Amino acid sequence: MSFVWSRAKAIAQKEIYHVIRDPFALALSIGLPIFLVIVFGFAIEFNVKNIHLAVHDADQTQASRGLIDIFGKSEYFIIDKVTSPEKAQQAIMSNNDRAALIIPGGFEKLLFTGKSSQVQLLLDGSDNSTVVPILSYLESIQKMANKQLANFNPSENIDIKTRFLFNAELNSRWFVIPGLTVAIMAILSVLLTALTVAQEWENGSMELLLSTPVQPLEVIVGKLVPYAFFCLVAVVFVYIISRTVFGIPFRGNIFVFGLGCVLFLVTCLVQGLLISILTRSQSLAYQIANMTGLLPAQLLSGFIFPVESMPKFFQYFTMLLPARWFMVIARESYLKGSTFFDLGIPFLALGTLCWFMIFFAVKKFKKDLEP
Amino acid sequence: MISLPLLRGFFRKEFKQAVRDPRMKFVLFIAPIIQLILFGVAISADVKNIRLWAEPDSKDYVLRHIYEHSIASQWFLPAVDNRNIEPFELLRSGKIDAALISPPGGLNRALGRGTADLQLLIDATNVIQAQSVELYIKDITASVVAQDLKLQPQNPPINFSMRVLFNPYLQTAYFMVPGVMCMLMCIVSVVLTSMSITREKERGTFEMLISAPISATEVILGKTIPYVIISMCDMPLILAAAVFLFGVPLRGSLLILMLASLAFVCSTVAIGTLISTFAKNQQQAMLGGFLFLFPANMFSGLMFPLENMPMVMKWLSYLDPLSHYLALLRNIMLKGNEIHFIAFHIGVLILMAIGFVYISFKRFRTTLQ
Repeated sequence: MSFVWSRAKAIAQKEIYHVIRDPFALALSIGLPIFLVIVFGFAIEFNVKNIHLAVHDADQTQASRGLIDIFGKSEYFIIDKVTSPEKAQQAIMSNNDRAALIIPGGFEKLLFTGKSSQVQLLLDGSDNSTVVPILSYLESIQKMANKQLANFNPSENIDIKTRFLFNAELNSRWFVIPGLTVAIMAILSVLLTALTVAQEWENGSMELLLSTPVQPLEVIVGKLVPYAFFCLVAVVFVYIISRTVFGIPFRGNIFVFGLGCVLFLVTCLVQGLLISILTRSQSLAYQIANMTGLLPAQLLSGFIFPVESMPKFFQYFTMLLPARWFMVIARESYLKGSTFFDLGIPFLALGTLCWFMIFFAVKKFKKDLEP
Repeated sequence: MISLPLLRGFFRKEFKQAVRDPRMKFVLFIAPIIQLILFGVAISADVKNIRLWAEPDSKDYVLRHIYEHSIASQWFLPAVDNRNIEPFELLRSGKIDAALISPPGGLNRALGRGTADLQLLIDATNVIQAQSVELYIKDITASVVAQDLKLQPQNPPINFSMRVLFNPYLQTAYFMVPGVMCMLMCIVSVVLTSMSITREKERGTFEMLISAPISATEVILGKTIPYVIISMCDMPLILAAAVFLFGVPLRGSLLILMLASLAFVCSTVAIGTLISTFAKNQQQAMLGGFLFLFPANMFSGLMFPLENMPMVMKWLSYLDPLSHYLALLRNIMLKGNEIHFIAFHIGVLILMAIGFVYISFKRFRTTLQ
């Protein structure tokens, strides 16, 4: 039997009624991405400032105060004075401070006699999100301290002129928001369809559907189209917000980006359907949707942790995730202005994943039709 | 007013129902361990495998040394040979991540005349990666120049002797594993609880429960305690994987860790219950769960620093049980529990649990009448 549009349309219509009767799902599927993008667009800032620094000054001289001043004026650190080195360590232990500066007695004397003097810095190594930025700040602070306090300014033989392309000011938002859109849509679209088929099994309406002449592909297309439409609406809103509220540039081709969106959303929606078809139980479908959608989309898609830094095996493994490919398309379209040909590999990969998902969904569905 | 045999009946039914499906057993007890291993191994906090480009076949030996040292450092990978394409174009089309460009005439000659300008182009679409690349190249260049020009590196008068406490070698597993642990515990418990009560509502068996001679307190306890217990069963499994497979230390006390986990699971089960009082069907419960889980993971403190968010966002993150639990896990496992800190955050988690259970209780009461 062949694919009949009118039957797919009938399924789609039923699905739309279903959603309209329960506007909660509709409101969430469009409102949630917008809400989350706004909240996290404002919240996320990778350039850490106002780090609490415990300071113990055993020297109490002009030089030691000068050094503390350099830390305090750098706008990276907030100085918390403590009375002993043990108290400094204790402050890190109790999470009151992220780092400690311990200046030994005789600091100024050593400095004026031209000998090299040591100050101790303790960093809290339990929190990855702050320790790495602090390490990089310390280098420039050390340089500044040497220049200002000891007049030590070695000439650099090679002066490295760095140009950060595509995001010259290293704006965290430009980096986060396109990626955030992908991470949100990746899990939301899987969730939207993950229950649809399982629901029909649990309600018993699947038996009814099976007795009609409707084909598996028609059911899948019918269930897909309305949700794809809602998700697209959400993406359009998020796009408008990212351009107007956050002022993120969009340098690529809007049609290429749109095509990527459609391909990506369809792939994720079919992934949800496939889970639903395979599990036939709503609570199980939900757990599996979260397992294959939520954490992979947040942690393995290259959203914050770059895919290139993963071990080889896992780099290949992430190729199975639609979000990983759309992450490339979204970021490069926004910031780099890549053309369709630059993005050939991600598009090819997304297309292949999409085809496979639909193929398996139809095949598994077919099996169900036979008793 | 609470009858114990009645509660026992509740527990027996919930346990049976939760693990009746063997696939559910897999999802509840095996999948979290697989996920912990997967994310623990895969995600690395430092940046590696950056594709670096420098002018090929250049007679400029200083540039070549910098390039070779970069590749040897294992942070960089050599870019595929593209000699006829401009470096900017290579960056734009995503074939390389960074490019070194020497001044006209080469670095050798420029160095002979004094200070040389070396241009470094970095693809900054990933801000974190871009910053690390700049630091790496600066370090490598400084050491190469000292070697090539036979310069004695001058000792600066002020030295910072840095010591990273609790994780001296900045091992990624120490950072990531506690984070992934708390995300997994959170997902399992919220999903399990919110779906279970909503399913009864959807099927109509909840009405039956209401008409039975049981108090609202008993319903709430009978429906939440089993899920606290099931979720807590995951804790030893995940913890064992973290300690034995990844070598994450457990410097604090196991008892305190279990107490903190219990407080955390109570708070997430309470949130799951609250979601189910709002949801009319399982789809709504699921979307409600997403509304909680996605921001909760983001605000946990694993993905980005919570330090300098705007005040409003900071308050939002204080409402996130994950942010407290991750701070607790890090403090107990890596630092070896600092008792005031632990007591405070466990207290916050318990307060949250009580608060959410109380609201759910109120809402159930209104349904019951």
